Amino acid sequence: MLSLSKGKSLSDVLFDAIVYLLCALIFLVIAYPVYFVVIASISDANLVAQGHVTIFPKGVSLFGYQKVFEDERIWIGYRNTIIYTILGTTFSMILTLPAAYSLSRPEFRARRFIMFFFAFTMFFNGGLIPTYILIKNLGLDNTIWVFVIPFAVNVYNLIVTRSFFENSIPKELYESATLDGCSHFRFFTSIVLPLSNAIISVIALYYIVAKWNDFFTGLIYIRDKNLVPLQLVLRDILIANQVFKEGVGLGGEAGGYAQRYADAVKYAIIIVSTLPVIVFYPFVQKYFEKGVMIGAIKG
Amino acid sequence: MKKYLAVIMIISILMLLTVGCTGNRTNESETGGKSGTEQSESSTIDGKAGTEQSKSSTTDKVTLTAIAVTHSLTKDIDTMTHIKKMEEAAGVTVQWEQVRSGWGEQKSVLLASGDVPDLFVGWAINDADFSQYPGLFQPLNELIEKFAPNVQKMFADHPELKQLSTHSDGNIYGLPRYQRFWPRNMIRQMINKEWLDKLNLEVPTTWDELYNVLKAFKTRDPNGNGQADEIPMDWAPGTGSFNATVMLSGYGIVAAFGDGTGWYVEDGKVKNYFVDERYKELVQFLHKCYKEGLVNPEVFTQDYTKYQALGRGTDEVPLVGFTFGWEPYDRVGAKWAPQYITIPPLKPYADYDGPVYWDYNYYGLNYGANHIVMTTKCENKEAAMRFMDQFYDPINGMQVLFGALGECIADNGDGTYKVLPPQDPQMDPGTWKWTNTLADAGPMYISDSLNLTLGSDMQALAEYDKVYKPYLDAIDVDNDVWPGPFIKFSQEDNSEMSLLWADLSNLINSHYAKWITEGGVEAEWDSYIKEMNNAGLPRAIEIRQKYYDEYKAKQ
Amino acid sequence: MFLRLIENGGYITLVNYDINKTGKKVTISTDKIKRIFLEFKRDYQLWIMVLPAIIVIFIFNYIPMYGIQLAFREYDFTKGIVGGKWVGLKYFKQFINSYQFERLIRNTLAISISSILVGFPAPIILALLFNQVKNQRYKKVLQTTVYLPHFISTTVMVGLLVVLLSPNTGIIGKMLRLFGLDDVNLLGNTSTFVPVYVLSDVWQHAGWGSIIYLAALSSVDPQLYDAAKVDGASKWRMIWHIDIPSLVPTMVILFILSMGGILSTGFEKVYLMQNGLNITVSEVIATYVYKIGLLSNQYSYSAAIGFFNTVINFSFLVITNWVARKIGNISLF
Repeated sequence: MLSLSKGKSLSDVLFDAIVYLLCALIFLVIAYPVYFVVIASISDANLVAQGHVTIFPKGVSLFGYQKVFEDERIWIGYRNTIIYTILGTTFSMILTLPAAYSLSRPEFRARRFIMFFFAFTMFFNGGLIPTYILIKNLGLDNTIWVFVIPFAVNVYNLIVTRSFFENSIPKELYESATLDGCSHFRFFTSIVLPLSNAIISVIALYYIVAKWNDFFTGLIYIRDKNLVPLQLVLRDILIANQVFKEGVGLGGEAGGYAQRYADAVKYAIIIVSTLPVIVFYPFVQKYFEKGVMIGAIKG
Repeated sequence: MKKYLAVIMIISILMLLTVGCTGNRTNESETGGKSGTEQSESSTIDGKAGTEQSKSSTTDKVTLTAIAVTHSLTKDIDTMTHIKKMEEAAGVTVQWEQVRSGWGEQKSVLLASGDVPDLFVGWAINDADFSQYPGLFQPLNELIEKFAPNVQKMFADHPELKQLSTHSDGNIYGLPRYQRFWPRNMIRQMINKEWLDKLNLEVPTTWDELYNVLKAFKTRDPNGNGQADEIPMDWAPGTGSFNATVMLSGYGIVAAFGDGTGWYVEDGKVKNYFVDERYKELVQFLHKCYKEGLVNPEVFTQDYTKYQALGRGTDEVPLVGFTFGWEPYDRVGAKWAPQYITIPPLKPYADYDGPVYWDYNYYGLNYGANHIVMTTKCENKEAAMRFMDQFYDPINGMQVLFGALGECIADNGDGTYKVLPPQDPQMDPGTWKWTNTLADAGPMYISDSLNLTLGSDMQALAEYDKVYKPYLDAIDVDNDVWPGPFIKFSQEDNSEMSLLWADLSNLINSHYAKWITEGGVEAEWDSYIKEMNNAGLPRAIEIRQKYYDEYKAKQ
Repeated sequence: MFLRLIENGGYITLVNYDINKTGKKVTISTDKIKRIFLEFKRDYQLWIMVLPAIIVIFIFNYIPMYGIQLAFREYDFTKGIVGGKWVGLKYFKQFINSYQFERLIRNTLAISISSILVGFPAPIILALLFNQVKNQRYKKVLQTTVYLPHFISTTVMVGLLVVLLSPNTGIIGKMLRLFGLDDVNLLGNTSTFVPVYVLSDVWQHAGWGSIIYLAALSSVDPQLYDAAKVDGASKWRMIWHIDIPSLVPTMVILFILSMGGILSTGFEKVYLMQNGLNITVSEVIATYVYKIGLLSNQYSYSAAIGFFNTVINFSFLVITNWVARKIGNISLF
């Protein structure tokens, strides 16, 4: 990279300056709500709602976090959600990647029909009640498998992956591989997968985040307290700490105190539920730099 | 590699087939076998009443399953000693499943698929469900006669509770709550008395006087911090609870203003105040205030959180002069509550000599239908009925509302009882109650003979409500009150009403907000009335009138 | 459409079609059967790879599809989900004739079309921009940060808007006042509802959306850049001739998919942002369906509205897909 810099033209220097400036600006604008959530989670909720908390936290207290963590169900929730996310993502990837590869092969005649078969379900569905009855009859409700199997294939992810395979795996590669007597299985595992780190990590991230944030599956299909995912636990805590619109029965000396900080809970919950997912991101990001490999193999 | 992939494929297919087809439950190690009975196989619904045989499995104790929809603060029902005692007294063990949030989403799935427990408790089932799911709920009429002495006594003492529990088809599917002690009004209007005193102003009694007071609040810095940060008047977002519409009561309209639907009854005629001339005048008045900056400029765009936060002011000064809420502690917080007083309804103008009332919501606050419901899937109906009856024992009812004897209520030993202050000094009495028992969500009957001293919160509320007494006493309950919970709409009518209301409420909301912020009510009133009529207001009134007339005929 | 696609894509249907239509071209058909057999033998591995996904989708998406009938039937609990009386298009007519129909469609389209117009290009521009950042550490921080707002819940995001846009106390409200726009309450205005909705959405989700484009950019062959540099191409030209073309397939596919959401808007955010001052532009199909179900379950009616939505969405998807295939030879199916 260094060697190139001396050949920089004036317009390229200017270009770089604009890029960095814009990025800095975008960074500030987009980072702000995140920063706001962090400071709001440790501030006096009254001051937050009144608009006094903008740059620095005010009336600092850890009430929100205290409320979240004094509920012991949260640890059960964490445990369950981690299990569901790992199992669910693994299973989803096992289904999605090979299917996407198949559908990316131009010689696979049935592929357009199968794509239609998949895409159709993005729009048409039988509704919640028939799905509930089916899952119940299969005995999947109230088990961890309801988080793993029924909604394992996300058609959107499948389409994106297929499109990626189609466009970034050079066609000559398969031709030369078949000349060596390479099967699809072999080609997929030893050439396509290693070349597709970027898309694999993105799709994995999509699945991880979707499964991590999913509360609806738990709400509808889980009745057992010990199988409840994190998001449901957090929802309960959030609702228990809301400012009660009904007002009925609340009040008194201490009521004022509770209400003052209760709203901090909703910010704390975002931090508590998001931090673990953020941990995944650096792993994903690492692979964005590895596009180099295509060139290497080709060369 | 090829082998490796093939193995993964085969495993994944096998996994799918085994789990999918044999319904193999891998997670049977649940606590207390909770899900055991409620997942009994058949999800078909046959209308026939199940035979009253006791369950074959257990010794002589009957096991019932129940879903309880409670307040989100409420602790696990398993840990409530008074409920445990009621189970013992009825000779049953109840496996509770408690829902604290998201019931709306779960309910239609459970009911429509017929996957229901023996009992529903709390805010679970409403009248519309009985019509929509025929055959799913157990008619209790005969069972009550045979096995429920407490319920019988309640119905004898308070015949209106029987009426409240009787569905339009003549069956009783659910049993009510009657909590007796609650006030008649849900809304209180309050003003900062210290500000008034400081500015040498009287408590306003008419809209015009209010206008002058608000004007002074705005311009004369009553909180004394040198900034014009006072919000002279503020009300809650929407058209419902704690809205300025309650001021119509000073103009002779009796309604439960908290529901925001505008329905009321005047001389036996069902009407809607959102198309009343008096409402038009109120809107004109509020626009005048808004235009001059006397109303919070964000009154229509703030959320409830912000509304409450503004009420609490800053650490140094209160911010809001005149506002609406449940009571001052709840509305402006403990710090500033002592500065506020509740004030009587305001007359529209000084020489108005028509009737003056106040928000009337006695039915809504004290009565509720269907707080406990049995399904036809229940196998031991006798035991279930005996358990349901326990809630209507007066001593049990009291504990359902306020918490267990010894923990939340003291037995004075002379037949009188007293609600104890919270054991946790951090908690207010309301939170304490909601945490320890089913409270207002529970089925209960507080008999008129029960001698119970209420907690400090309810006593304070009674104090605040003294100013409203004459205006509430003046109400002709028989002819001027919409008998809310006693009206049982048929499924068709209910469905039609909800479709009509989806359109009407939009017209109401948008015009209300626009007229107050921008004005124009005089010019647009006629076209608004026309639009309301086109959107089906006459039909909605017709439906309601029909039910009201039927109700009156039965009285 | 469905049939035609089966004919084009599914080979077996095509054979039957030939026999039925012409009757005599048996030789061709046997040739075809032979070809099918050969192709299957050739492609059996591909079938094995796609089969698990097909099974899962079939079981959990196609089997419950009988529920679609509900839109054409009167819901009757005693006869099961789809056992009620067949009423045909009754509920569709009810919706089309309903008082707010035109307004609902207009509002829904206004939100979704603006969302596509602004929300679709935003992540692409972000990705192209970030791709120009050469300092690795800076780039990483940048990427990690911009995707974080995606995790903020809708409730909190709307609460944040209330705080920021408040004309009295919010930062943005104050800035507007600096520009002399005193009485503008961005949350309570029919003309600002859509911009506020769309821009705050872009603000929150553009960074997340750029991830997929960054992934696509990372697979560009670096030799292309080297070659371009040797030719003395400016950075602008490299973006135009190398980066953007490499994003086109992803762009087209995502565009087709977003056109399939033409009558969909998020429910929660619209609902939370609604107030009396903007309700005339903020009532959309999703919030309407929610409201009609508030007092009583309108299973059939809401199923019909849902189906109406779906059909229109799907038509847009199919049309866009067709256009994309004709013009750019890129398509979903």
